[in-house]
Amino acid sequence: MGMSSKRGYIQGKVIANCVGKRVFLNGGVARRPYSSVAEEYFPDEPSKPVVTSSQIPGPSSIKLTKELGRSFDSNASYFISDYFNSKGNYISDADGNKLLDVYAQIASIPLGYNNPALIETARSDVMVNALVNRPALACFPSIDYGKILSEGILAAAPKGMGHVWTALSGSCANETAFKAAFIYQNAKRRGSLDVSAEELASCMDNKPPGSSDMVILSFDKGFHGRLFGSLSATRSKPIHKLDMPAFPWPRAPFPQLKYPLKDHVKENHEEEERCLAELENIITKKVAPNKIAAIIVEPVQSEGGDNHASSFFFQSLRDITLKHEILLIVDEVQTGVGASGKFWAHEHWNLSTPPDMVTFSKKFQAAGFYFSDPKLQPKEPYRQFNTWCGDPSKALLARSIYQEITKNDLVTKTAEVGSYIYENLEAMFSKYEGHVQNLRGKNYGTFIAWDHSSPAERDQFISLCRSKGLNIGGCGSAAVRLRPCLVFGKKHADIMLSIIEDVLKTLRG
Amino acid sequence: MSSGNYFTNEPKEPVVKSETVPGPQSSAGIKALGQVTDSRPVYFIADYEKSVGNYIADVDGNVYLDVYAQIASNPLGYNNPALIETAKSDKMIRAIVDRPALGNFPGADTAEIIQGLLDMAPKGQDKVWSGLSGADANELAFKAAFMWYQGKKRGFTKGFNEEELKSVMSNSAPGSPELAILSFERAFHGRLFASGSATRSKPIHKLDLPAFKWPKAEFPSYKYPLDKYEAENKKEDERCLAIVDDILKSWSIPVAGVLIEPIQSEGGDNHASKEFFQGLRDLTLKHGTLMIVDEVQTGVGATGKMWCHEHFDLSPAPDIVTFSKKFQSAGYFFHDPEIMPAQAYRQFNTWCGDPARMILAGAIGKEIAKNNLVQRTKEVGQYMYSKLEALSSKYPKYIKNLRGKDRGTFIAWSLESGEARDKFLKDLKTKGVNMGGCAESSVRLRPTLVFEEKHVDILIQKIDQLLASY
Repeated sequence: MGMSSKRGYIQGKVIANCVGKRVFLNGGVARRPYSSVAEEYFPDEPSKPVVTSSQIPGPSSIKLTKELGRSFDSNASYFISDYFNSKGNYISDADGNKLLDVYAQIASIPLGYNNPALIETARSDVMVNALVNRPALACFPSIDYGKILSEGILAAAPKGMGHVWTALSGSCANETAFKAAFIYQNAKRRGSLDVSAEELASCMDNKPPGSSDMVILSFDKGFHGRLFGSLSATRSKPIHKLDMPAFPWPRAPFPQLKYPLKDHVKENHEEEERCLAELENIITKKVAPNKIAAIIVEPVQSEGGDNHASSFFFQSLRDITLKHEILLIVDEVQTGVGASGKFWAHEHWNLSTPPDMVTFSKKFQAAGFYFSDPKLQPKEPYRQFNTWCGDPSKALLARSIYQEITKNDLVTKTAEVGSYIYENLEAMFSKYEGHVQNLRGKNYGTFIAWDHSSPAERDQFISLCRSKGLNIGGCGSAAVRLRPCLVFGKKHADIMLSIIEDVLKTLRG
Repeated sequence: MSSGNYFTNEPKEPVVKSETVPGPQSSAGIKALGQVTDSRPVYFIADYEKSVGNYIADVDGNVYLDVYAQIASNPLGYNNPALIETAKSDKMIRAIVDRPALGNFPGADTAEIIQGLLDMAPKGQDKVWSGLSGADANELAFKAAFMWYQGKKRGFTKGFNEEELKSVMSNSAPGSPELAILSFERAFHGRLFASGSATRSKPIHKLDLPAFKWPKAEFPSYKYPLDKYEAENKKEDERCLAIVDDILKSWSIPVAGVLIEPIQSEGGDNHASKEFFQGLRDLTLKHGTLMIVDEVQTGVGATGKMWCHEHFDLSPAPDIVTFSKKFQSAGYFFHDPEIMPAQAYRQFNTWCGDPARMILAGAIGKEIAKNNLVQRTKEVGQYMYSKLEALSSKYPKYIKNLRGKDRGTFIAWSLESGEARDKFLKDLKTKGVNMGGCAESSVRLRPTLVFEEKHVDILIQKIDQLLASY
């Protein structure tokens, strides 16, 4: 694959950047070198990708996908994985290929494949107990559930958010947050009045006033899940929404920033002002503030194309929600748990007051939402309720994930590796103008993306990367996103960069 | 196989040590947990390490005979050794630590894991899609129904037009069409927004949440005992079917699917006849809408069939059957290839289920088959029903409208009021029995599949003791 010459180039650049030594981009204290965590976890991690089939998917993957497709929708399958032989940052497939994985199960593998610390957790007696005795958590919680929460999910809570409600997926997390918002706003509207007989009767017919006509406002290109409430807030792509009934909820424009940011400061600020003004207009003129229960926003619109906005935009959004008494839900399903160089991406904004709710899933394995105001827990029990109310086995995993991240300082390391990747991509992309542009995610850990000249070329790029042993994902219409796990080190970055440049050369022809 | 084979150390009878339930330790635990999450519905803090088979232990050293079984979701008793073995297997460890995005990167063992689910599929179903909970399973089934309904009009493999692609992004027709799921009064199908729209059990489940303008039909209300009121109940079936026919013909929004529980569980354990269900099947065929059977609570053996709707011998088989709870894994079974979207990424999400839970489902299925637990549940249910029937003539005020004859252990009855019911359940805990309620004034029995005659005897004895003291 011509790896060695590329490595030379990249390493040369690193040395130039770092003057032969590690620099601490976040001004931190000296820690172990970048890649040692992966080496410690995975002494036998492959040193580079191995591609043995002439194409990916290879013959075994194709055959198994077809067989699986008879009983299980496998239309979206890229290849059949061999998780038993996957290790660290490398995913193995049924044809014996080993790919460096910077997609990581759509951004949901936190600490690499077969992480020994998580294996230990999975083998523990408490895990076995949680698996075979799954409780109806809200009715019959276990002795240790409070402790599991406080040492894990709650220990990781964003600043100022001391409460949690657990769920099962990102969609489910967002929808339970929506429910909390609707119940809260309607209780506020009612004030000291009791629920009326009319409300009780009409809700059984799915009609107002018992069934609320309040709405959730989301942003153009936002992705918040694919169940019916979450899907009504999702505005990423038609394929996610077609043929599904949806609530008539409003959407506001999300800033479309120009890159590089430093060359478009004024225009981008104006773009954010424009979006904020339009948001204000929608709230006050098109919908009415007292009809909007909550606004949901991602720190980076991920599925929608890795669209960023500035801290100014998000603080202004916070101010608008406070002014109109609308709740702010920050959807950290994809951005949360370290990848952005902060544990929670919204911590980059330094908001004056915390969001009202923050939802999580993916890398945390457990899902749910944090909240600060105890009033977001309905006054009456059984309103935010279901059979399982979460899953203790996932809460146990979340605890271990949090503890490993803390112990190994993986958020800082991800920030550092991310800066390294960003700088190298920036230098590299200057040579491939017309093919790649709008590099984004500076100072945002490994949460980096860029655009290709067309959707077709993007798809070709992804496919070529895969055939060279790099599993990489797309988003939006023509973007590529990096979503490696938190033990992605500099040595992995070098291999990735080298493959990316190889493929760009091919595309340039 | 008796539960003794699984659980050599299962308690012989309940033990109640604390003066009240919840006891002091539970009360302290509830208070502490309430600082960080909603703990108001907690009955007691359980000690799962010490729970065995049909007995659940709590932090105060109480040990209850459990006929609620985690709201009907524990399949084979606490700490079942076969499931413990599965939980410790290498396959499970991998599934836990390397949870895949199953739609994009299925594992080499995915087909085998799925086969474990399919081995237990209802008659006539050979395909499956997986979700995470009952509500999720139902909503995924709705999505399948909506795509199928529009696909039938458009052509299943045909692309979308510009207007659809554009309008869908603003949540309007034709891309986001107005389509409905028809459900029944008193039905329960989950608590997310679309499943919540189909749910019609109680206001507390629905109040203040936006809902789709979907229709509801009436579910038969029978007079008991059934053999005495055959003619009246037949008329009731016909009346309810006529309402369905009318809605399917005339509702302002096209109905893509009819969703029904074989026994309305949360809504009060309401039963309907085989003829009613076949009549409903016929109406769905007549109007070109899908029949979705929600087996979340009724499925996996408790009714004396693996799937409750198998009692009805429906012809043809339902289009979609949803599952969760006792199977630990959730999702839906189907058979028509056109119910699987032709285009990728339409029935899709990050995880598309959870192999860890699917592996458990496979193991549960194997144990059920190996130990003939459906047949055993049927026998135990018959034994229990006859004992309860006797008790009901002794205490007619407290055991009214006994229902679930020939439905395994899926038995329920009503009391005179919600207050009387709540008191009965609370008092029963102090006798060492953990039982659940449903609807306004009913109680439901939802034991595991390893509940046997000896457990029935204890249950009957405790109920008898309690009612004698009233």
